[in-house]
Amino acid sequence: MTAEAARATDRPVILSLAGLSKTFGDTSAVKQVSLDIPEGEFLTIVGPSGSGKSTLVRLLAGLETPTSGTLKLRGKDITALPANRRPTALVFQSLALFDHRTVGQNIEFAMKMKGVPADKRKARAHELLALVRLSDSYYERPVTHCSGGERQRVALARAFASDPEILFFDEPLSAIDYRLRKTLEVELKELHQRTGRTFVYITHSLEEAMIMSDRIAILKDGDLIQIGTPAEIYRQPRDRFVASFMGEVNILRVEDGTFPDIGRPAPADAAGAYAIVRPEDLLPGSRDVTAEYAVTQRLMLGSRTQLHLASPSGASFVSEIAGAAEVFQVGTSHAFGFDTDRIAWVDR
Amino acid sequence: MRQGRHLSALRTLWIVAILAFLYIPIVSVVLASLANTRYMRFPHRVWTLEAYGDALSSFTTWQLHSISLSIALSVVVLSTILGTLGAVAFARYDWRGRTWFQRFMVLPIFFPQPVLGLALLLTFTAIGIQPSWKTAALAHLVWILPIVTLVISVRFFGYDVAQEEAAYDLGATHVQVVREVTLPQIWPGIFSGILFGFLLSWSNLPLSVFTSGPDTPLPVWLFSRTATNYSPLVPSVAVIGTVVSALIVVGAGLLLWAGRRLR
Repeated sequence: MTAEAARATDRPVILSLAGLSKTFGDTSAVKQVSLDIPEGEFLTIVGPSGSGKSTLVRLLAGLETPTSGTLKLRGKDITALPANRRPTALVFQSLALFDHRTVGQNIEFAMKMKGVPADKRKARAHELLALVRLSDSYYERPVTHCSGGERQRVALARAFASDPEILFFDEPLSAIDYRLRKTLEVELKELHQRTGRTFVYITHSLEEAMIMSDRIAILKDGDLIQIGTPAEIYRQPRDRFVASFMGEVNILRVEDGTFPDIGRPAPADAAGAYAIVRPEDLLPGSRDVTAEYAVTQRLMLGSRTQLHLASPSGASFVSEIAGAAEVFQVGTSHAFGFDTDRIAWVDR
Repeated sequence: MRQGRHLSALRTLWIVAILAFLYIPIVSVVLASLANTRYMRFPHRVWTLEAYGDALSSFTTWQLHSISLSIALSVVVLSTILGTLGAVAFARYDWRGRTWFQRFMVLPIFFPQPVLGLALLLTFTAIGIQPSWKTAALAHLVWILPIVTLVISVRFFGYDVAQEEAAYDLGATHVQVVREVTLPQIWPGIFSGILFGFLLSWSNLPLSVFTSGPDTPLPVWLFSRTATNYSPLVPSVAVIGTVVSALIVVGAGLLLWAGRRLR
């Protein structure tokens, strides 16, 4: 257990899922998900499309009712409580801003529904604009006149205005271009740290999850298959699916005490049927497991270089090394190796 | 550049030609109403507003307008309410039979109106209903309601439905969601529906001819008087009718504008 995970667990649980399931007709979108979310955590639920992650967040927000299972907020059963009476707010994938209203009216919506007087609403809306780093001049602006990044911030301010105990995010950054997404990811993490609220974030990008989260939960076909800190998931993926979901990795099958893909003996203490070796651990030179590889592609990643390699038996590998690596021209062959203590072992 | 000038001259000519095509018949009606003989001869020997005096002092003119207005307003009220509900069923909810509903609903638009009118008259008499302006309004509704429903449905497809969920998630009740999100979003469609409903009913002849019984709406009177007993009274009543409907439409537009300013 890392320090981060330990810190997460000694906080009181704010949201508790027990055997939460949702079926639509014959297909089950979410299967028996059980999970405790501590107060103030930034939890990211990651899964490929069709993994049931959107359904799961809609169950949590109260926009869908579960087929079975219970949901507790601070120990109180809220399974049957509809969305408009839950102290939570969802930032939608499409953002769902009220496009016939101004920025100010959007932010004030939840307060207006609660019957907060107009002057108080306005004062709070200006505070929230400052929180999401928009100037006061946006208050009067129609949301249709805002850029993509500004709309994200308005959606965030609108969700905060309902003073939610938990904020849910359903891939709100998926339609944003790369650079702006990076900026907004960092801002979101800062906002989480400043406000201390519990954030539950849904995404298909593990990279996004890595940057922002305290813990990551990985969902596959409606099943929660692994949960842990980013470091735990990175270092010890539960199976090949989780490992390859993290980005490019080398997966070596073990057969009769050898790695048939490279024709080398596997370590005697092999702890699984597959060895996962990260690209940054497969390096030039002689190491615990060394073999000859041909360079098939050389890609510059700025300060690093990615090399696509082929073993003599024809299997593909990836290596990432620092610098421009001029020696490793396409077509040349070199010795590459990895150390056995860098291997993550998985059985599936 | 010379070629550009020719092109723009041609374009102007084209626009003028289209406008002339649209407006010459209307201008002709106005010109015809300024004569004092029942035989068309142009230019008139005598230019006079006599026909307008006759029209305005005649009880028939008022009656024609009040009947047409009663029909049109009933059609507007009913088609807006039913059309909005129909649009929800048409565009929003996935229910068993929705595809069939979508197909069958637009069918009356394709049916020839005189045949539809006759069929409705036969139906009314078969079940013992006396034709009057009320049955005419019902007949208009059969034809106009599908159009109004389609016009409003378009708006339902035109905005992100997640806005309603967002409002609900932010604490709005179902009624508040309708008032704060749904109605403002579909309002342009409802307004177009009202406009379509009014104008289509106001000018309808083929359905009214069969189904209005002893009550005579404006287009029916214009048609029968043009066919059998023409005088400059006919074009003058037509001009008055056009002005009345234009005033109603402009008035509704002004009300809407004023309402928006107040909010």
